[in-house]
Amino acid sequence: MARNPLRDRIAVVGVGSTPYGRDLRRSHLSLGLEAAINAIRDASLDKREIDGICGSGMTPLAQGGAGFLSLQGALGIESCTWVLNSWLGSAFVYAAQAVFSGLCDVALVVQTYLREPGMSRAAGGDPFRRALQKFGDIGGDIGGSDFAKRWVHSGEPYAAWMKRYMHNYGTNKDAFAYMALNNRSHGARNPAAVMKEPISLDDYYASRVIWEPMQVFDMDVPVDCGEAQIITTAERARDLPQKPVYIHAMSLGGTRCGEYYENTLGWTENSHWVAQRGLWARSELTLPDIDLFYPYDGYTADAIGVVEAAGYCKPGETGDFFKSNWDPIANVLRLNGRTLVTTHGGGLAQGRAGGANFYSEAVRQLRGTEEYRQVGGAKSALIGIGSFFHDPSAVILRTV
Amino acid sequence: MRNPIDDSYVFELYPDIQLTRDNIEHYRALAERRLVINHCSDCGYWIYPHRPLCPECWSWNVRPEEIGGFGAVFMFTLLHQLRDSKNLIHPINVAAVELDEQRGLRYLARVVNCAPQEISHGMRVQLTWIEIDGKEWPAFEPIRTGKG
Repeated sequence: MARNPLRDRIAVVGVGSTPYGRDLRRSHLSLGLEAAINAIRDASLDKREIDGICGSGMTPLAQGGAGFLSLQGALGIESCTWVLNSWLGSAFVYAAQAVFSGLCDVALVVQTYLREPGMSRAAGGDPFRRALQKFGDIGGDIGGSDFAKRWVHSGEPYAAWMKRYMHNYGTNKDAFAYMALNNRSHGARNPAAVMKEPISLDDYYASRVIWEPMQVFDMDVPVDCGEAQIITTAERARDLPQKPVYIHAMSLGGTRCGEYYENTLGWTENSHWVAQRGLWARSELTLPDIDLFYPYDGYTADAIGVVEAAGYCKPGETGDFFKSNWDPIANVLRLNGRTLVTTHGGGLAQGRAGGANFYSEAVRQLRGTEEYRQVGGAKSALIGIGSFFHDPSAVILRTV
Repeated sequence: MRNPIDDSYVFELYPDIQLTRDNIEHYRALAERRLVINHCSDCGYWIYPHRPLCPECWSWNVRPEEIGGFGAVFMFTLLHQLRDSKNLIHPINVAAVELDEQRGLRYLARVVNCAPQEISHGMRVQLTWIEIDGKEWPAFEPIRTGKG
Protein backbone atom coordinates (compact mmCIF):
# COMPACT_ATOMS: atom_id res chain seq x y z
CA MET A 1 0.00 0.00 0.00
CA ALA A 2 1.05 3.55 -0.74
CA ARG A 3 0.37 6.37 1.74
CA ASN A 4 -3.08 7.95 1.55
CA PRO A 5 -3.29 10.54 4.33
CA LEU A 6 -6.07 12.47 2.55
CA ARG A 7 -8.45 9.47 2.67
CA ASP A 8 -12.01 10.86 3.00
CA ARG A 9 -10.71 14.12 4.52
CA ILE A 10 -11.46 16.31 1.49
CA ALA A 11 -14.93 16.72 -0.02
CA VAL A 12 -16.76 18.14 -3.00
CA VAL A 13 -19.43 20.55 -1.74
CA GLY A 14 -20.51 22.33 -4.91
CA VAL A 15 -21.03 21.59 -8.59
CA GLY A 16 -22.10 23.95 -11.34
CA SER A 17 -22.69 23.50 -15.05
CA THR A 18 -23.71 25.70 -17.95
CA PRO A 19 -26.09 24.57 -20.67
CA TYR A 20 -24.40 22.51 -23.41
CA GLY A 21 -24.80 23.60 -27.01
CA ARG A 22 -23.20 23.56 -30.42
CA ASP A 23 -23.27 27.35 -30.64
CA LEU A 24 -23.99 29.26 -27.43
CA ARG A 25 -22.37 32.47 -28.79
CA ARG A 26 -20.34 32.92 -25.62
CA SER A 27 -16.67 33.16 -24.61
CA HIS A 28 -14.66 30.73 -22.49
CA LEU A 29 -14.72 33.31 -19.72
CA SER A 30 -18.48 33.78 -19.84
CA LEU A 31 -19.08 30.03 -19.64
CA GLY A 32 -16.51 29.68 -16.85
CA LEU A 33 -18.13 32.45 -14.82
CA GLU A 34 -21.59 30.92 -15.10
CA ALA A 35 -20.33 27.48 -14.06
CA ALA A 36 -18.39 29.05 -11.15
CA ILE A 37 -21.37 31.04 -9.88
CA ASN A 38 -23.61 27.98 -10.11
CA ALA A 39 -21.10 25.89 -8.14
CA ILE A 40 -20.55 28.55 -5.45
CA ARG A 41 -24.32 29.00 -5.00
CA ASP A 42 -24.82 25.22 -5.03
CA ALA A 43 -22.36 25.01 -2.13
CA SER A 44 -24.15 27.85 -0.27
CA LEU A 45 -20.85 29.69 0.04
CA ASP A 46 -20.00 33.38 -0.21
CA LYS A 47 -17.45 34.20 -2.92
CA ARG A 48 -15.17 35.67 -0.23
CA GLU A 49 -14.69 32.14 1.10
CA ILE A 50 -13.05 30.99 -2.15
CA ASP A 51 -9.29 31.15 -1.56
CA GLY A 52 -8.05 28.83 -4.32
CA ILE A 53 -8.81 28.65 -8.06
CA CYS A 54 -7.86 26.07 -10.65
CA GLY A 55 -8.72 27.62 -14.01
CA SER A 56 -9.02 26.18 -17.46
CA GLY A 57 -6.27 25.65 -20.04
CA MET A 58 -2.52 26.00 -19.85
CA THR A 59 -1.94 29.66 -20.70
CA PRO A 60 -2.62 32.04 -17.80
CA LEU A 61 -2.31 35.06 -20.08
CA ALA A 62 -4.93 33.94 -22.64
CA GLN A 63 -7.33 36.87 -22.94
CA GLY A 64 -11.00 35.95 -22.83
CA GLY A 65 -10.09 32.53 -21.47
CA ALA A 66 -11.20 30.92 -18.23
CA GLY A 67 -7.78 30.87 -16.58
CA PHE A 68 -7.33 31.86 -12.95
CA LEU A 69 -6.08 35.37 -13.81
CA SER A 70 -9.30 36.21 -15.64
CA LEU A 71 -11.66 34.25 -13.39
CA GLN A 72 -10.58 35.73 -10.08
CA GLY A 73 -10.93 39.32 -11.22
CA ALA A 74 -14.13 38.68 -13.13
CA LEU A 75 -15.73 36.98 -10.12
CA GLY A 76 -14.56 39.80 -7.82
CA ILE A 77 -12.65 37.54 -5.44
CA GLU A 78 -10.18 39.74 -3.56
CA SER A 79 -7.45 37.26 -2.69
CA CYS A 80 -6.46 33.64 -3.22
CA THR A 81 -3.57 31.81 -1.60
CA TRP A 82 -3.48 29.14 -4.33
CA VAL A 83 -4.00 29.43 -8.10
CA LEU A 84 -3.22 27.20 -11.07
CA ASN A 85 -4.52 26.35 -14.52
CA SER A 86 -4.99 22.81 -15.75
CA TRP A 87 -7.25 20.57 -17.80
CA LEU A 88 -8.59 17.03 -18.29
CA GLY A 89 -8.47 14.81 -15.20
CA SER A 90 -5.72 16.56 -13.31
CA ALA A 91 -7.41 19.92 -12.55
CA PHE A 92 -9.69 18.36 -9.92
CA VAL A 93 -6.82 16.42 -8.34
CA TYR A 94 -4.63 19.53 -8.11
CA ALA A 95 -7.41 21.41 -6.34
CA ALA A 96 -8.02 18.59 -3.85
CA GLN A 97 -4.29 18.41 -3.19
CA ALA A 98 -4.13 22.17 -2.60
CA VAL A 99 -6.92 21.95 0.01
CA PHE A 100 -5.31 18.98 1.72
CA SER A 101 -1.91 20.70 1.83
CA GLY A 102 -3.42 23.78 3.47
CA LEU A 103 -2.54 26.22 0.69
CA CYS A 104 -6.23 27.02 0.50
CA ASP A 105 -9.42 26.00 2.30
CA VAL A 106 -12.01 26.29 -0.45
CA ALA A 107 -10.90 25.61 -4.01
CA LEU A 108 -12.90 26.43 -7.12
CA VAL A 109 -12.21 24.31 -10.23
CA VAL A 110 -13.43 25.72 -13.55
CA GLN A 111 -13.17 23.99 -16.93
CA THR A 112 -14.58 25.39 -20.16
CA TYR A 113 -14.78 24.16 -23.74
CA LEU A 114 -15.64 25.82 -27.05
CA ARG A 115 -16.24 24.03 -30.33
CA GLU A 116 -13.15 24.67 -32.45
CA PRO A 117 -13.41 26.15 -35.95
CA GLY A 118 -12.04 22.96 -37.55
CA MET A 119 -15.00 20.92 -36.26
CA SER A 120 -17.55 21.93 -38.89
CA ARG A 121 -18.13 24.44 -41.67
CA ALA A 122 -20.46 26.44 -39.43
CA ALA A 123 -17.83 26.62 -36.69
CA GLY A 124 -15.16 27.44 -39.29
CA GLY A 125 -17.24 30.35 -40.54
CA ASP A 126 -17.52 31.88 -37.06
CA PRO A 127 -15.00 34.76 -36.76
CA PHE A 128 -15.02 34.51 -32.94
CA ARG A 129 -13.96 30.85 -33.06
CA ARG A 130 -11.28 31.63 -35.66
CA ALA A 131 -9.93 34.47 -33.51
CA LEU A 132 -9.80 32.16 -30.50
CA GLN A 133 -7.83 29.59 -32.46
CA LYS A 134 -5.41 32.24 -33.63
CA PHE A 135 -4.79 33.89 -30.27
CA GLY A 136 -5.80 31.40 -27.60
CA ASP A 137 -3.80 28.31 -28.51
CA ILE A 138 -1.85 26.13 -26.11
CA GLY A 139 1.51 27.17 -27.58
CA GLY A 140 4.25 25.45 -29.55
CA ASP A 141 4.55 24.69 -33.27
CA ILE A 142 1.53 22.39 -33.47
CA GLY A 143 0.29 21.94 -37.02
CA GLY A 144 3.55 23.07 -38.63
CA SER A 145 5.19 21.68 -41.75
CA ASP A 146 7.16 18.88 -40.06
CA PHE A 147 5.09 15.71 -40.55
CA ALA A 148 7.12 13.98 -37.81
CA LYS A 149 5.52 16.38 -35.29
CA ARG A 150 1.99 15.65 -36.47
CA TRP A 151 1.12 13.67 -33.35
CA VAL A 152 2.19 16.38 -30.91
CA HIS A 153 -1.11 17.05 -29.12
CA SER A 154 -3.12 15.10 -31.70
CA GLY A 155 -6.11 12.75 -31.63
CA GLU A 156 -4.88 10.69 -34.57
CA PRO A 157 -2.71 8.36 -32.45
CA TYR A 158 -5.91 7.15 -30.72
CA ALA A 159 -7.08 5.85 -34.09
CA ALA A 160 -3.72 4.16 -34.62
CA TRP A 161 -3.97 2.66 -31.11
CA MET A 162 -7.48 1.34 -31.83
CA LYS A 163 -6.09 -0.45 -34.87
CA ARG A 164 -3.05 -1.71 -32.98
CA TYR A 165 -5.34 -2.93 -30.15
CA MET A 166 -7.44 -4.93 -32.62
CA HIS A 167 -4.22 -6.32 -34.13
CA ASN A 168 -2.64 -7.20 -30.76
CA TYR A 169 -5.68 -8.94 -29.36
CA GLY A 170 -7.35 -10.18 -32.55
CA THR A 171 -10.62 -8.34 -31.86
CA ASN A 172 -13.18 -6.43 -33.86
CA LYS A 173 -14.49 -3.00 -32.83
CA ASP A 174 -17.29 -4.23 -30.54
CA ALA A 175 -15.61 -2.95 -27.36
CA PHE A 176 -15.60 0.57 -28.80
CA ALA A 177 -19.10 0.17 -30.25
CA TYR A 178 -20.73 -0.91 -26.97
CA MET A 179 -19.05 1.98 -25.16
CA ALA A 180 -20.61 4.37 -27.67
CA LEU A 181 -24.02 2.69 -27.40
CA ASN A 182 -23.97 2.85 -23.60
CA ASN A 183 -23.10 6.54 -23.51
CA ARG A 184 -25.67 7.46 -26.13
CA SER A 185 -28.39 5.51 -24.24
CA HIS A 186 -27.60 7.41 -21.04
CA GLY A 187 -27.40 10.67 -22.99
CA ALA A 188 -30.91 10.11 -24.27
CA ARG A 189 -32.14 10.27 -20.65
CA ASN A 190 -30.08 13.36 -19.76
CA PRO A 191 -31.79 16.67 -20.58
CA ALA A 192 -28.38 18.42 -20.59
CA ALA A 193 -27.06 16.17 -23.37
CA VAL A 194 -26.53 17.50 -26.89
CA MET A 195 -27.00 14.07 -28.52
CA LYS A 196 -30.46 12.89 -27.50
CA GLU A 197 -30.92 9.92 -29.85
CA PRO A 198 -29.69 6.50 -28.77
CA ILE A 199 -27.80 4.49 -31.40
CA SER A 200 -27.76 0.81 -32.39
CA LEU A 201 -24.80 -1.40 -33.22
CA ASP A 202 -25.71 -1.02 -36.89
CA ASP A 203 -25.75 2.79 -36.54
CA TYR A 204 -22.28 2.65 -35.00
CA TYR A 205 -20.76 0.51 -37.73
CA ALA A 206 -22.47 2.58 -40.45
CA SER A 207 -21.18 5.90 -39.10
CA ARG A 208 -18.64 7.93 -41.04
CA VAL A 209 -15.00 6.83 -40.83
CA ILE A 210 -12.82 9.77 -39.82
CA TRP A 211 -9.39 8.34 -39.01
CA GLU A 212 -9.50 4.66 -39.90
CA PRO A 213 -10.58 2.64 -37.97
CA MET A 214 -12.06 5.43 -35.80
CA GLN A 215 -15.58 6.50 -36.71
CA VAL A 216 -17.52 9.62 -35.84
CA PHE A 217 -19.40 7.80 -33.03
CA ASP A 218 -16.03 7.05 -31.37
CA MET A 219 -15.40 10.77 -30.91
CA ASP A 220 -16.78 13.12 -28.28
CA VAL A 221 -19.12 15.83 -29.49
CA PRO A 222 -17.55 19.29 -29.62
CA VAL A 223 -19.76 21.78 -27.76
CA ASP A 224 -19.67 25.06 -25.91
CA CYS A 225 -19.89 24.41 -22.15
CA GLY A 226 -18.49 25.05 -18.70
CA GLU A 227 -18.23 22.95 -15.54
CA ALA A 228 -17.15 23.86 -12.01
CA GLN A 229 -16.66 22.13 -8.68
CA ILE A 230 -15.98 23.39 -5.15
CA ILE A 231 -13.63 21.36 -2.97
CA THR A 232 -13.00 21.89 0.73
CA THR A 233 -12.12 20.02 3.91
CA ALA A 234 -14.39 17.30 5.29
CA GLU A 235 -14.86 19.35 8.49
CA ARG A 236 -16.08 22.39 6.58
CA ALA A 237 -18.19 20.18 4.31
CA ARG A 238 -20.16 18.83 7.25
CA ASP A 239 -21.30 22.40 8.10
CA LEU A 240 -22.67 23.01 4.59
CA PRO A 241 -26.16 22.04 3.39
CA GLN A 242 -25.20 19.66 0.54
CA LYS A 243 -24.44 16.07 1.36
CA PRO A 244 -20.61 15.88 1.30
CA VAL A 245 -19.04 13.70 -1.36
CA TYR A 246 -15.66 12.61 -0.03
CA ILE A 247 -12.50 12.08 -2.04
CA HIS A 248 -11.48 8.63 -0.91
CA ALA A 249 -8.31 8.24 -2.95
CA MET A 250 -6.76 9.71 -6.08
CA SER A 251 -3.75 9.51 -8.35
CA LEU A 252 -2.22 11.19 -11.36
CA GLY A 253 -0.16 9.29 -13.94
CA GLY A 254 3.02 10.40 -15.65
CA THR A 255 4.83 8.29 -18.24
CA ARG A 256 8.01 8.58 -20.31
CA CYS A 257 6.02 9.14 -23.50
CA GLY A 258 6.55 12.89 -23.68
CA GLU A 259 5.12 15.22 -26.26
CA TYR A 260 5.61 12.98 -29.32
CA TYR A 261 2.70 10.60 -28.87
CA GLU A 262 4.05 7.77 -31.06
CA ASN A 263 6.49 7.08 -28.23
CA THR A 264 4.07 5.29 -25.87
CA LEU A 265 5.60 1.88 -25.58
CA GLY A 266 2.56 -0.37 -25.37
CA TRP A 267 -1.21 -0.35 -24.85
CA THR A 268 -0.81 -1.19 -21.14
CA GLU A 269 1.90 1.40 -20.57
CA ASN A 270 -0.05 4.62 -21.11
CA SER A 271 -1.00 7.13 -18.44
CA HIS A 272 -4.32 5.48 -17.45
CA TRP A 273 -2.49 2.36 -16.28
CA VAL A 274 -0.10 4.42 -14.16
CA ALA A 275 -2.97 6.45 -12.65
CA GLN A 276 -5.18 3.43 -11.89
CA ARG A 277 -2.27 1.55 -10.29
CA GLY A 278 -1.52 4.62 -8.20
CA LEU A 279 -5.15 4.88 -7.12
CA TRP A 280 -5.65 1.25 -6.12
CA ALA A 281 -2.37 1.28 -4.19
CA ARG A 282 -4.00 3.97 -2.04
CA SER A 283 -7.33 2.32 -1.30
CA GLU A 284 -8.55 -0.73 0.60
CA LEU A 285 -11.61 -0.84 -1.64
CA THR A 286 -11.90 -3.25 -4.57
CA LEU A 287 -13.85 -3.08 -7.84
CA PRO A 288 -16.93 -4.88 -6.43
CA ASP A 289 -17.28 -1.97 -3.95
CA ILE A 290 -17.74 0.48 -6.82
CA ASP A 291 -21.37 1.46 -7.58
CA LEU A 292 -20.76 3.85 -10.50
CA PHE A 293 -17.97 3.90 -13.08
CA TYR A 294 -16.92 6.93 -15.13
CA PRO A 295 -14.30 6.13 -17.79
CA TYR A 296 -13.50 9.28 -19.83
CA ASP A 297 -14.55 9.05 -23.47
CA GLY A 298 -12.76 11.78 -25.41
CA TYR A 299 -12.43 8.85 -27.78
CA THR A 300 -13.95 5.43 -27.09
CA ALA A 301 -10.34 4.16 -27.03
CA ASP A 302 -9.78 6.26 -23.88
CA ALA A 303 -12.69 4.57 -22.13
CA ILE A 304 -11.57 1.07 -23.11
CA GLY A 305 -8.12 1.91 -21.76
CA VAL A 306 -9.63 3.01 -18.42
CA VAL A 307 -11.85 -0.12 -18.21
CA GLU A 308 -8.82 -2.38 -18.62
CA ALA A 309 -6.47 -0.25 -16.52
CA ALA A 310 -9.03 -0.31 -13.68
CA GLY A 311 -8.97 -4.10 -13.84
CA TYR A 312 -12.54 -4.88 -14.93
CA CYS A 313 -11.09 -7.33 -17.45
CA LYS A 314 -7.77 -8.28 -18.98
CA PRO A 315 -6.22 -6.21 -21.79
CA GLY A 316 -7.98 -7.01 -25.05
CA GLU A 317 -11.04 -8.58 -23.40
CA THR A 318 -13.32 -5.54 -23.09
CA GLY A 319 -15.43 -6.51 -26.11
CA ASP A 320 -16.36 -9.87 -24.60
CA PHE A 321 -16.69 -8.35 -21.13
CA PHE A 322 -19.10 -5.68 -22.38
CA LYS A 323 -21.22 -8.18 -24.32
CA SER A 324 -21.62 -10.40 -21.25
CA ASN A 325 -22.46 -7.35 -19.08
CA TRP A 326 -24.94 -5.74 -21.46
CA ASP A 327 -28.50 -4.94 -20.39
CA PRO A 328 -30.43 -5.38 -23.65
CA ILE A 329 -33.60 -3.79 -22.25
CA ALA A 330 -32.06 -0.46 -21.28
CA ASN A 331 -29.25 -0.79 -23.86
CA VAL A 332 -26.63 0.04 -21.26
CA LEU A 333 -23.69 -1.61 -19.55
CA ARG A 334 -24.32 -3.09 -16.12
CA LEU A 335 -20.91 -4.28 -15.02
CA ASN A 336 -20.97 -7.44 -12.92
CA GLY A 337 -24.74 -7.21 -12.97
CA ARG A 338 -25.05 -3.80 -11.34
CA THR A 339 -22.42 -1.07 -11.86
CA LEU A 340 -23.71 1.55 -14.31
CA VAL A 341 -21.21 3.35 -16.52
CA THR A 342 -21.12 7.05 -17.51
CA THR A 343 -24.67 7.77 -16.38
CA HIS A 344 -24.78 11.25 -17.98
CA GLY A 345 -23.70 10.09 -21.43
CA GLY A 346 -20.15 11.47 -21.21
CA GLY A 347 -18.49 13.41 -23.98
CA LEU A 348 -20.03 11.16 -26.63
CA ALA A 349 -23.58 12.28 -25.74
CA GLN A 350 -23.68 15.16 -23.25
CA GLY A 351 -20.74 16.83 -24.97
CA ARG A 352 -17.02 17.47 -24.76
CA ALA A 353 -15.96 18.89 -21.41
CA GLY A 354 -12.53 17.26 -21.09
CA GLY A 355 -14.02 14.95 -18.49
CA ALA A 356 -15.14 17.76 -16.16
CA ASN A 357 -18.76 16.65 -16.53
CA PHE A 358 -17.78 13.17 -15.27
CA TYR A 359 -16.80 14.70 -11.92
CA SER A 360 -19.99 16.79 -11.76
CA GLU A 361 -22.23 13.83 -12.63
CA ALA A 362 -20.54 11.52 -10.12
CA VAL A 363 -21.05 14.11 -7.35
CA ARG A 364 -24.72 14.61 -8.25
CA GLN A 365 -25.42 10.87 -8.34
CA LEU A 366 -23.65 10.30 -5.01
CA ARG A 367 -25.69 13.10 -3.43
CA GLY A 368 -28.79 11.29 -4.65
CA THR A 369 -30.45 14.36 -6.18
CA GLU A 370 -31.04 13.22 -9.75
CA GLU A 371 -34.73 12.24 -9.51
CA TYR A 372 -35.73 10.05 -12.47
CA ARG A 373 -32.08 9.73 -13.53
CA GLN A 374 -30.97 8.78 -10.01
CA VAL A 375 -29.15 5.45 -9.59
CA GLY A 376 -30.60 3.97 -6.42
CA GLY A 377 -28.23 3.47 -3.49
CA ALA A 378 -25.09 4.73 -5.23
CA LYS A 379 -22.41 5.37 -2.60
CA SER A 380 -19.12 5.12 -4.50
CA ALA A 381 -17.84 6.16 -7.89
CA LEU A 382 -14.65 5.32 -9.76
CA ILE A 383 -13.50 7.99 -12.20
CA GLY A 384 -10.70 7.79 -14.76
CA ILE A 385 -10.17 10.89 -16.91
CA GLY A 386 -7.44 12.08 -19.22
CA SER A 387 -5.33 11.56 -22.28
CA PHE A 388 -3.23 8.44 -22.88
CA PHE A 389 -0.35 10.89 -22.90
CA HIS A 390 -0.98 13.64 -20.36
CA ASP A 391 -3.13 14.90 -17.49
CA PRO A 392 -4.80 11.64 -16.43
CA SER A 393 -6.53 11.14 -13.12
CA ALA A 394 -7.91 8.21 -11.21
CA VAL A 395 -10.28 9.14 -8.37
CA ILE A 396 -12.69 7.35 -6.06
CA LEU A 397 -15.48 9.50 -4.64
CA ARG A 398 -17.88 8.24 -2.00
CA THR A 399 -20.48 9.20 0.57
CA VAL A 400 -20.81 7.74 4.03
CA MET B 1 21.21 25.13 -51.06
CA ARG B 2 23.53 27.54 -49.26
CA ASN B 3 26.67 26.04 -47.78
CA PRO B 4 27.47 25.83 -44.96
CA ILE B 5 23.96 25.55 -43.55
CA ASP B 6 24.45 27.89 -40.61
CA ASP B 7 21.88 28.50 -37.85
CA SER B 8 20.36 31.52 -39.54
CA TYR B 9 19.80 29.54 -42.72
CA VAL B 10 18.07 26.73 -40.76
CA PHE B 11 15.73 29.36 -39.28
CA GLU B 12 15.10 30.66 -42.80
CA LEU B 13 14.35 27.16 -44.13
CA TYR B 14 11.93 26.14 -41.33
CA PRO B 15 10.06 29.33 -40.37
CA ASP B 16 7.09 27.49 -38.79
CA ILE B 17 9.17 25.08 -36.69
CA GLN B 18 10.04 26.00 -33.12
CA LEU B 19 13.79 25.58 -33.41
CA THR B 20 15.70 25.17 -30.16
CA ARG B 21 19.30 24.60 -29.12
CA ASP B 22 18.27 20.96 -28.67
CA ASN B 23 16.65 20.23 -32.03
CA ILE B 24 18.43 22.46 -34.56
CA GLU B 25 20.94 19.76 -35.62
CA HIS B 26 17.99 17.54 -36.59
CA TYR B 27 16.66 20.20 -38.96
CA ARG B 28 20.12 21.12 -40.26
CA ALA B 29 20.52 17.44 -41.20
CA LEU B 30 17.05 17.32 -42.79
CA ALA B 31 18.13 20.21 -45.02
CA GLU B 32 21.01 17.95 -46.13
CA ARG B 33 18.59 15.04 -46.68
CA ARG B 34 19.93 13.13 -43.69
CA LEU B 35 17.75 11.77 -40.85
CA VAL B 36 19.64 12.09 -37.57
CA ILE B 37 18.55 11.20 -34.05
CA ASN B 38 20.36 11.96 -30.79
CA HIS B 39 22.55 9.08 -29.65
CA CYS B 40 24.30 8.66 -26.32
CA SER B 41 28.03 8.31 -26.91
CA ASP B 42 28.48 6.67 -23.49
CA CYS B 43 25.76 4.01 -23.29
CA GLY B 44 24.50 3.86 -26.88
CA TYR B 45 20.86 4.77 -26.13
CA TRP B 46 18.91 6.58 -28.88
CA ILE B 47 17.05 9.65 -27.58
CA TYR B 48 13.95 10.95 -29.37
CA PRO B 49 12.47 13.55 -29.46
CA HIS B 50 15.58 15.70 -29.50
CA ARG B 51 16.73 16.04 -25.91
CA PRO B 52 20.13 17.02 -24.55
CA LEU B 53 20.52 14.39 -21.80
CA CYS B 54 20.58 10.60 -22.02
CA PRO B 55 17.62 9.42 -19.90
CA GLU B 56 19.29 6.05 -19.30
CA CYS B 57 22.75 7.05 -17.99
CA TRP B 58 22.39 10.85 -17.57
CA SER B 59 25.31 11.48 -19.88
CA TRP B 60 25.40 14.87 -21.62
CA ASN B 61 27.59 13.29 -24.24
CA VAL B 62 24.71 13.13 -26.73
CA ARG B 63 25.31 13.48 -30.48
CA PRO B 64 22.97 13.55 -33.45
CA GLU B 65 23.77 10.53 -35.62
CA GLU B 66 22.37 9.28 -38.89
CA ILE B 67 20.10 6.26 -38.52
CA GLY B 68 20.27 3.16 -40.70
CA GLY B 69 16.90 3.89 -42.25
CA PHE B 70 15.25 0.51 -41.66
CA GLY B 71 12.30 -0.30 -39.46
CA ALA B 72 8.78 -1.70 -39.21
CA VAL B 73 5.36 -0.09 -39.05
CA PHE B 74 4.34 -0.16 -35.36
CA MET B 75 0.98 1.58 -35.75
CA PHE B 76 -0.82 3.67 -38.32
CA THR B 77 -4.10 5.29 -39.28
CA LEU B 78 -5.66 6.39 -42.54
CA LEU B 79 -7.03 9.92 -42.45
CA HIS B 80 -10.31 10.15 -44.34
CA GLN B 81 -11.16 13.60 -43.04
CA LEU B 82 -8.95 16.44 -41.89
CA ARG B 83 -9.69 19.09 -39.29
CA ASP B 84 -11.05 21.46 -41.92
CA SER B 85 -13.89 18.90 -42.30
CA LYS B 86 -13.32 18.39 -46.02
CA ASN B 87 -13.51 14.75 -47.03
CA LEU B 88 -10.37 13.48 -48.71
CA ILE B 89 -10.70 11.60 -51.98
CA HIS B 90 -7.67 9.48 -51.14
CA PRO B 91 -6.98 8.84 -47.47
CA ILE B 92 -3.64 10.07 -46.10
CA ASN B 93 -1.68 7.55 -44.07
CA VAL B 94 0.25 8.40 -40.91
CA ALA B 95 2.57 5.70 -39.60
CA ALA B 96 4.72 5.39 -36.50
CA VAL B 97 7.74 3.49 -37.78
CA GLU B 98 9.73 1.67 -35.11
CA LEU B 99 13.35 2.01 -36.17
CA ASP B 100 15.62 -1.03 -36.02
CA GLU B 101 18.05 0.86 -33.79
CA GLN B 102 15.98 0.46 -30.59
CA ARG B 103 12.67 -0.87 -29.22
CA GLY B 104 10.15 1.96 -28.91
CA LEU B 105 12.22 4.36 -31.06
CA ARG B 106 9.50 5.53 -33.42
CA TYR B 107 9.50 8.14 -36.17
CA LEU B 108 6.25 9.50 -37.54
CA ALA B 109 6.07 9.64 -41.33
CA ARG B 110 4.05 8.77 -44.38
CA VAL B 111 4.37 5.37 -46.01
CA VAL B 112 4.77 5.93 -49.77
CA ASN B 113 4.99 3.72 -52.86
CA CYS B 114 2.31 1.55 -51.31
CA ALA B 115 -1.50 1.49 -51.51
CA PRO B 116 -3.12 2.51 -48.19
CA GLN B 117 -4.84 -0.88 -47.79
CA GLU B 118 -1.47 -2.65 -48.13
CA ILE B 119 -0.01 -1.04 -45.00
CA SER B 120 0.08 -3.48 -42.10
CA HIS B 121 1.45 -3.78 -38.57
CA GLY B 122 5.01 -5.06 -38.61
CA MET B 123 5.50 -4.29 -42.29
CA ARG B 124 9.22 -3.80 -43.05
CA VAL B 125 10.01 -0.35 -44.42
CA GLN B 126 13.02 1.74 -45.40
CA LEU B 127 13.72 5.46 -45.41
CA THR B 128 13.06 7.47 -48.52
CA TRP B 129 12.47 11.16 -49.15
CA ILE B 130 9.46 13.02 -50.49
CA GLU B 131 9.09 16.61 -51.62
CA ILE B 132 6.47 18.75 -49.89
CA ASP B 133 6.22 22.47 -50.68
CA GLY B 134 9.69 22.56 -52.21
CA LYS B 135 11.45 20.81 -49.30
CA GLU B 136 12.58 17.21 -48.84
CA TRP B 137 11.08 15.31 -45.89
CA PRO B 138 11.64 11.76 -44.59
CA ALA B 139 9.12 9.08 -45.53
CA PHE B 140 9.20 5.30 -45.55
CA GLU B 141 8.48 2.77 -48.29
CA PRO B 142 8.00 -0.99 -48.20
CA ILE B 143 11.14 -3.05 -48.67
CA ARG B 144 10.41 -4.95 -51.88
CA THR B 145 12.34 -8.15 -52.22
CA GLY B 146 13.31 -9.63 -55.56
CA LYS B 147 12.68 -6.35 -57.36
CA GLY B 148 14.57 -5.65 -60.63
